[in-house]
Amino acid sequence: MKRYRAFTAFILIVGALVALGYGLFGPQKATAALLSGLTLASLYFLLGAGLSLIFGLMDVLNFAHGVLFMVGAYVGYTVFGNPRLILNTAPLFLALAVGIIAGSRLAPLIPNRRFIPYLLALAGVGVTLWGIRGFPLRPLVAFEPTTAGGAIPTALAQEPLSRMLLRLGQLALAGLLLGPVAARWGREDRRAAPWRSLALGVGLTLLAVLLLLGRDPLERFLLGLSVDVRFFLALVAGAATGAALGALIETTLIRPFYGRPITQIVLTLGLMFAGAELVKFIWGKEGRPPMAVPSLFAQSCRSPNLLAWLTERCSSIDVLGRAFPTYRLFIIAVGLLILVGVALLLKYSRLGMIVRAGVQDSAMVEALGINVRRVFMAVFALGSALAALGGVVAAPFVGVYPEMGSIFQLQAFIAVVIGGMGSYTGTAVGALVLGLARALGDTLVTTGIALPGMAQALRASPAVARASTVLMMAVVLLVRPAGIFGRKE
Amino acid sequence: MAALLEVQDIHTFIGQFHILQGVSLEVPEGSITALLGRNGAGKTTTLKSILGLTPPREGKVIFLGEEIGGRRAYEIAAMGIGYVPEYRAIFTGLTVEENLRIAERRKGDLKRKADFIFTLFPDLKRLYRLPGGQLSGGQQQMLAIARALVPDNRLLLIDEPSEGLAPILIQELMGAIRRLSAEVTVLLVDQNFQMTSRLADRYFMIEDGRTVRSGAMADLLNEPDVIRRYLGAVI
Repeated sequence: MKRYRAFTAFILIVGALVALGYGLFGPQKATAALLSGLTLASLYFLLGAGLSLIFGLMDVLNFAHGVLFMVGAYVGYTVFGNPRLILNTAPLFLALAVGIIAGSRLAPLIPNRRFIPYLLALAGVGVTLWGIRGFPLRPLVAFEPTTAGGAIPTALAQEPLSRMLLRLGQLALAGLLLGPVAARWGREDRRAAPWRSLALGVGLTLLAVLLLLGRDPLERFLLGLSVDVRFFLALVAGAATGAALGALIETTLIRPFYGRPITQIVLTLGLMFAGAELVKFIWGKEGRPPMAVPSLFAQSCRSPNLLAWLTERCSSIDVLGRAFPTYRLFIIAVGLLILVGVALLLKYSRLGMIVRAGVQDSAMVEALGINVRRVFMAVFALGSALAALGGVVAAPFVGVYPEMGSIFQLQAFIAVVIGGMGSYTGTAVGALVLGLARALGDTLVTTGIALPGMAQALRASPAVARASTVLMMAVVLLVRPAGIFGRKE
Repeated sequence: MAALLEVQDIHTFIGQFHILQGVSLEVPEGSITALLGRNGAGKTTTLKSILGLTPPREGKVIFLGEEIGGRRAYEIAAMGIGYVPEYRAIFTGLTVEENLRIAERRKGDLKRKADFIFTLFPDLKRLYRLPGGQLSGGQQQMLAIARALVPDNRLLLIDEPSEGLAPILIQELMGAIRRLSAEVTVLLVDQNFQMTSRLADRYFMIEDGRTVRSGAMADLLNEPDVIRRYLGAVI
């Protein structure tokens, strides 16, 4: 019964928005607005899905979610256009990780005094700074991204291998010193299977050394790949970075503070600001223009219909006489794919079953003998990966810039609130409603409303477009305070 | 009889409150042991302390000869303890089947136990595809117990199973608990003394977070004064 009412509310709201669009702007502009709305909805959903799952399962409001979206976009962009930066920095992170793994294993050997691990960690931070001192980050980042392939100019930006190997050693040492503190954090998980961390450590070391020694041929290889393959690599790298960062954030910063929501909110809010500053520090304050699109969306022409587009590969497609960029259809498709994929995962996989049960009562799930914390980490990583994937997908649409995280995060939060916190269906619905509202607001600003008897159309200021989403939220919450699919709290 | 579970003088705090101030008990293998006491005496907290949901700050909990204090709840449960919490905490958004399947610890657990479970609770077979939230209170209670029977548990902790059930359902429930106790040891908490006194072989009585008496149930039934004083019940 409740679900039935929620669906009715959803149909009414979307129907009202669509009718409003067609009534005000006529079919041509309204259809374009509808498609734009779907594009935005898709991005809001990719961000909102993780927010909603994480809140539903763990009661954590993750204000750092936008950072993951942004980091995904930046990492994808860099993998796509400037792999030299990745190849020169990734080994350093890997060395640090290897050090931390080894250090946390050696933790039992150090005297069991409370302050000693922290002193070592302090020294570890010092050694880290020593290890990255003078690293030529600026020149590495400064290269114009090559979207068409070919060599990146200037060979000077790379440090000689010997210097880089020294840095690897320094960072591994730093990790070793940081390890004992890390061991305190994840104590109970580290009790089992020493061979696993040994294998992980050796594997990561090999990977770091291989990446470093092979950086020149690897770079040539990556730049020699077609745009399509590099775009795919960017998607994978972005999502993987998101997953890894999400898992790291959950284990180190969120896990110690379950049941202390205020602390978690302050922490993730802090991460939001720190993340934006870190992105500015690495990639600079200025954003970058939209990333190049795969060849399927690249020819500068306009296809008359979808079938023709598949052979012509035009950058836009004819919709009722207006051009609509085909890449945005790709964004919509990714959103739909993830929507269905995660829904299937939730409905039919064991993980999904545990998540659905945990949303209701995670203590009872644990009492059944299920390691709920590991499920929390998996869901956090999954949500973060989706956000980062959204970032990569958005990069050819809006470009990358340091404020993109907080801007999209705000919209995703509104979408989740409209849909009902913690409800997966609700998030999809909220994202759709919000995307449509925003697209209508944008159309209102660009074309205005032509009222009969007036010489000029009534134009709204751009602020109206930005306000449209918040207005939508206000209206929905007045009618359904818990959101469209929200459970009453 | 060797003790399957031994609790030695545990102290548990919830926030600032010192709830358990020295609970000790022993559950012999293959029996039904009742944990008696008035409302707020600390019975539920004792069960949660055994399972590690509210870890005791002092004292020992020994299960299968191993000290399990300080372990995480999922590790303790996975050693073979099934928990049937009060208010029948089944997952209302999951179907009956999913509520059972989520309790599997090894693949095929449910398949192996299905016959046993459906003999005890034939209703569940009929309701298999329904969401747990659509079940009646009695059916939810059956489901909560059935869920604890899916994996190979050695011990069930059952908390207030008769609460809010109609007398006829309580009869059915008693029959089920008696039959399942042939397969698995039970530590039972229930306000309904009529029921526990007929099911349990032994009892431990707690008052204000301390174990105050213990012994054979048959002996307790000969002491109406004690029953009235500690439980407020008249038999």
